[in-house]
Amino acid sequence: TCLSGTSKNACQSEQHLGQYYTVPASHFHTVFPHGLPPRYQQQVKTFNEGCVMVRQPALELISHLKRADYINPTLRYLLYGVKGSGKTMSLCHAVHYCSTQGWLVLHIPDAHLWVKNCKELLPSSYHASRFDQPIQASNWLRNFRTTNEHFLSKIKLRQRYVWTKRESTEEGRPLGELVDMGVSRVKSSSDVVGAVLKELRLQAGGTEGGFRLAVAVDGVNGLWGRTTLKKEDKSPVAPEELTLVHNLRKMINNDWCGGAVIATLSQTGSLYAPSSAYLPQELLGEEGFDSMDPFIPVPVSLYSEKEFESCYLYYLDRHWLQHPHSQTEEGKKELIFLSNRNPSVLERLCAFL
Amino acid sequence: MIRVLLVRWSRYNPYYLEPEPRKEVYHIPETELTPEQKEERELKSVRPIKAATNSVTSSVFNDPVLSKFVNMMMKDGDKIIAKGIITQTLENMKRKQVEKYHKAPEVKKAEIECNPYVIFHQALENCKPVIGLASIQKGGKFYQVPIPLTDNRRRFLAMKWMITECRDNKHRRTLMYEKLSQELLAAFSKEGNVVKRKHELHKMAESNRAYAHYRWW
Repeated sequence: TCLSGTSKNACQSEQHLGQYYTVPASHFHTVFPHGLPPRYQQQVKTFNEGCVMVRQPALELISHLKRADYINPTLRYLLYGVKGSGKTMSLCHAVHYCSTQGWLVLHIPDAHLWVKNCKELLPSSYHASRFDQPIQASNWLRNFRTTNEHFLSKIKLRQRYVWTKRESTEEGRPLGELVDMGVSRVKSSSDVVGAVLKELRLQAGGTEGGFRLAVAVDGVNGLWGRTTLKKEDKSPVAPEELTLVHNLRKMINNDWCGGAVIATLSQTGSLYAPSSAYLPQELLGEEGFDSMDPFIPVPVSLYSEKEFESCYLYYLDRHWLQHPHSQTEEGKKELIFLSNRNPSVLERLCAFL
Repeated sequence: MIRVLLVRWSRYNPYYLEPEPRKEVYHIPETELTPEQKEERELKSVRPIKAATNSVTSSVFNDPVLSKFVNMMMKDGDKIIAKGIITQTLENMKRKQVEKYHKAPEVKKAEIECNPYVIFHQALENCKPVIGLASIQKGGKFYQVPIPLTDNRRRFLAMKWMITECRDNKHRRTLMYEKLSQELLAAFSKEGNVVKRKHELHKMAESNRAYAHYRWW
């Protein structure tokens, strides 16, 4: 019941619920340079392969993505659930599906990283009251380049962009050139990100050479709320005053068509939110909820009995549960009791057993 | 931060008996009890019993040797940090061994030991000295005399050497659990600084054989 040999995610259905499917090793570096949770990356390195469990929320997302028509404005999906219930993994499952179907994937690993711990805040050259984050922007552009290599030469710009008095990018140049410029010229990388997002928004639903655009944002509740960054006169920075956040909010609005927006709430990296909060209303706040509304909520629950069995058998198969008592019935009951079927707690427990 | 309150004191009236945390003992039906066990049960039903400590559990994953090691590693009564270091060590050892296992060819797979508990116990066994030295005064001078050690003393010395080795001889940037896992894996294959220290102690005892009859017990 555990390892199913299908690595074709187009044909996954309810029969495969609870079974694991292997992501080919070549896909890891191209599709997920920055998306996976760190403990899962360690697990992939240890087991020498990456297996993802097929679960109900991810299947629901994929079926919606298959059946939606892309002429109407974009649908927004929001994954929410208790801490450690598998929201990021479901997001990565959906992202993998999108990239195997040939979509262009815009994966932001954690929006909270853009609103806290920033060492360099430059005032933006484009807009007087906004602030740039060169390091985060250039990192993200580098990863974006690895994910979508084959699209960079095909998409042509529709507008001329001027960066400084001497540098500008003409109309009709490929997107790859823009991204390379953003990676090399770190000072204007945030503006490059804004330009890239705008171009993709305009060209996503187009009939000639049209591609589908998937925007996957993890920790979307960081875009509305407060930041820990401070200006030079020690006054707090609001999220609207950051170029990256401003441009990303424009992406999440459903005024463009030809793609989908998949978002996850996250309490772990969030600022000024209590640790027991997991519902969209609590984490997004008034402003966030109004901008995300209407969205399709997808609840991610803890493991069911069948999923727990499957996970337990997978660990046994990969020689991860080494303690002799953990392989008995007694030990299994104790694992259920201690972890309450929470996927991340179970993973941490089995790590030292 | 989880606060753990002490309920049990360490000084009890000698009338009190020790508690029995293991579950198997209580599952034996009436008929299969030997006469000594029946007597013991009678006694326990009459006498008062000490409260169990916080570190002892009835779980199947409870390990007395590991608890002792955690207590020795603990500083300023911070058991949470010590327990955290030990769990990270076990996880680290398991990861290294499982990675080696998955990359090895079929022939070599059976020889690689993946269970971190087995590695820990075996490494500790390999570090235990067989014979120890005591400083005995005879005729104004102190001589290092080889003496036999009790089991508890040997276990204590092995754990003490392991912990001091990992605290002192490491690079400024390596974390404790990383260094501990390296030392335990080395001791499992009988290399590394701790077994070297054990061998040096044995050599000293061997060279001082002549003074063995200074021991009077």
